[in-house]
Amino acid sequence: MVFKSKNKNKLEIEHKNNLNDSNMYQDDTVIECRNLNLWYEESQALMDINMKFKRNEVTAIIGPSGCGKSTLLRCLNRMNDVIEGCRIEGEVLFQGENLYSKNADIRLNRKKIGMIFQKPNPFPMSVYDNITYGPKIHKIIDDKILTEITEKNLRRAVLWDEVRDRLDESAMGLSGGQQQRLCIARALAVEPEILLMDEPTASLDPIATQKIEELILELKKQWTMIIVTHNMQQAARISDYTGFMYLGKLIEFGNTEQIFENPNNQLTENYITGRFG
Amino acid sequence: MAKELHREIFELKKEVLDMGNLALGMLDDSMKALSTQDIELAKITEKRKHKIREMDANIEAKALKLIALYQPMAIDLRRLATILKMITYLARIGRYGKDIASVVEEISKKQPYPAPFVNLQHMWEHTKLMIEDALKAFDESDIKYIDKFEERDNEIDKMRWSIFRECLTYMMEDPKTITSCAFFGMIARFLERSADHACKIAEKVHYMVTGEHKEIS
Repeated sequence: MVFKSKNKNKLEIEHKNNLNDSNMYQDDTVIECRNLNLWYEESQALMDINMKFKRNEVTAIIGPSGCGKSTLLRCLNRMNDVIEGCRIEGEVLFQGENLYSKNADIRLNRKKIGMIFQKPNPFPMSVYDNITYGPKIHKIIDDKILTEITEKNLRRAVLWDEVRDRLDESAMGLSGGQQQRLCIARALAVEPEILLMDEPTASLDPIATQKIEELILELKKQWTMIIVTHNMQQAARISDYTGFMYLGKLIEFGNTEQIFENPNNQLTENYITGRFG
Repeated sequence: MAKELHREIFELKKEVLDMGNLALGMLDDSMKALSTQDIELAKITEKRKHKIREMDANIEAKALKLIALYQPMAIDLRRLATILKMITYLARIGRYGKDIASVVEEISKKQPYPAPFVNLQHMWEHTKLMIEDALKAFDESDIKYIDKFEERDNEIDKMRWSIFRECLTYMMEDPKTITSCAFFGMIARFLERSADHACKIAEKVHYMVTGEHKEIS
């Protein structure tokens, strides 16, 4: 990572340290589910999920509606905690530490594991304030550093050239595709390790979708991404690994090429060839 | 949408089998015309090259359209990929039938045929069975029909070289047989290439059924 400023940004230093720590994992696993089970009240939504997500790879999770893929994604940064009646058993190991242990720092972990949603959700404030919102929460107040963070992350999200003259304007005035890239830039501004994406292009037109897909391929050079999508062609285009879920179970998980060309499981085959779902 | 794709693939499969039967029929009729000196049948066979070219183009266009419209995956994608390759091999097999038919008139003037013709007929029977089995394997998605293709292809290769050597001895013995024996050597080569194309079809069918690439050489 290249630092342009002498005043090294705390987040960047932290990010670099994290990278060094996680390099200790020999098999490149960044986050891992071990025997993960989840219930909403009496209804079990995830059943014994075991999955490893690798560094700088895109993993897609596919499956029919209600199969548990978004629930699984939300487990990876504890977003299900706020749902009443939700109960979780098993472990989610992020860089070797269980996210669900009593000692886990949920605030720090959510910073390291960013999330992008189906519908772009910029805050009703300026483009600049959207990007700097997270860093400010994490105690960065120097205007110069905040300006650097804004430009760097808008560039990372390939949005800088489109909004450089509109940083003080409301983010709500951007197009849907621009808003989604702004949300990605906002997530990147706190230097996460992982980006979770829940159908990030579901509400976008084909051109905006293409830009987000190109961005994902660019971002994976630096970040680990886990993406839930209904669009199987999208999963095939952008992911390195694919997991197929059905009725709360992980049916098949493997190399994307293998899953879409020659799946091992008949259920996977039936789903991706449109014979059900 | 998926139902429509599967119906279209089913229809396309029937067209590929029709093309396979046309290619096989062209070879079969050319060999019949050769053995009976039926020049009329040879001419009809030659003209069927237009039909096979038309089928090749039509099936290719339909397969590409299905890929563009439905973005098929797994077995559907493998079946379409197999079809796209298969039609090229079938077109080549049909063209060999046309090539053999085109020499029937010339070769019929050389009577009686020298002895290598019997072996040529024998070679044709084996080649025909290989093409039929490759088509059956595709039709039924069953690789049992093609599991001995390597050995069978080796046998065909041996027959071709045997015919070549036999033709040489006849040509050295009697220069009057040079024209017909040269033709027979060429026809043996066409049949051997047709068996090679049957092997290439078998490779693709193996991939279609199992998802794994296999070389049959």
